[in-house]
Amino acid sequence: MKKIYILVVMLLVSVTALAQNGRSLYNKYSDAPNVEAVYVSPAMFRLIGKIPDIEMQDESVNLGPIIKSLSGLYILSISDERLAADLADDVNRFIKKGQYELLMEAKDNGEVMRLYTVGNDKIVNSLVMLAVQGSETDFICVDGDMPREELENLIAEAAKD
Amino acid sequence: MKTLDEMTRLSAEDLERISLDESIPVPEELSGKVQAAVRRPVRWMLPAGIAAAVAVLVTIGLTREPAPKDTFDDPYLAYAEVEKAFAKISGTVAYGADKIAQSEETLDKLSYWK
Repeated sequence: MKKIYILVVMLLVSVTALAQNGRSLYNKYSDAPNVEAVYVSPAMFRLIGKIPDIEMQDESVNLGPIIKSLSGLYILSISDERLAADLADDVNRFIKKGQYELLMEAKDNGEVMRLYTVGNDKIVNSLVMLAVQGSETDFICVDGDMPREELENLIAEAAKD
Repeated sequence: MKTLDEMTRLSAEDLERISLDESIPVPEELSGKVQAAVRRPVRWMLPAGIAAAVAVLVTIGLTREPAPKDTFDDPYLAYAEVEKAFAKISGTVAYGADKIAQSEETLDKLSYWK
């Protein structure tokens, strides 16, 4: 009987941990005041992928190689300091639970920018950016099966401009 | 009849030999007792298993996040937002790279004065 209790508790804990993701954060904060939120669904990404020559508005970002591998985009832009602090705490918690690795961190005069990824050597399943600049906090979470090399090239090329 | 202490000292071979010896009478109620002991765990294992499965399913149902509503109906607008997001991410990388370059410059200057 004890074994079953332990098994149930372990299952519940692991299920709860799985529930922590970009979507849960988006659902928590997107309707709050002083929050700008953008969500692009997997269905929309499929639709974008079917458009043969989609017009590029930002020449520095070439999404071509990875657009079909994306499956979700969550953006939160928060200008309320208390909410921003809550979001930062939640992001840190879900980063720890989701086995994300820190790709880059930059801090300067209270500004903090962090990039995290989760996946393997070849595929990135999720890319998370948390940027705190003054009273503005931005959270971006991109989900998909992005080829790591293509993603890194895209970011590096865009960062040059 | 052997005592419990004597029985614990018997080897597996002895126990097997005794169990096959049909001359030793088996108490009539023993068979029922053994079956009851074997069946007893099944009484709670099945409902406990069902309860565990239900608990897991309910938790999955409760913790499963509902899909948010798409912000854009127009794929072109959605694409533009994806571009903006990646431009922001690239900007963050550029900012980090700039800081690294500044640190390297400072280190170079320090090593020059040493």
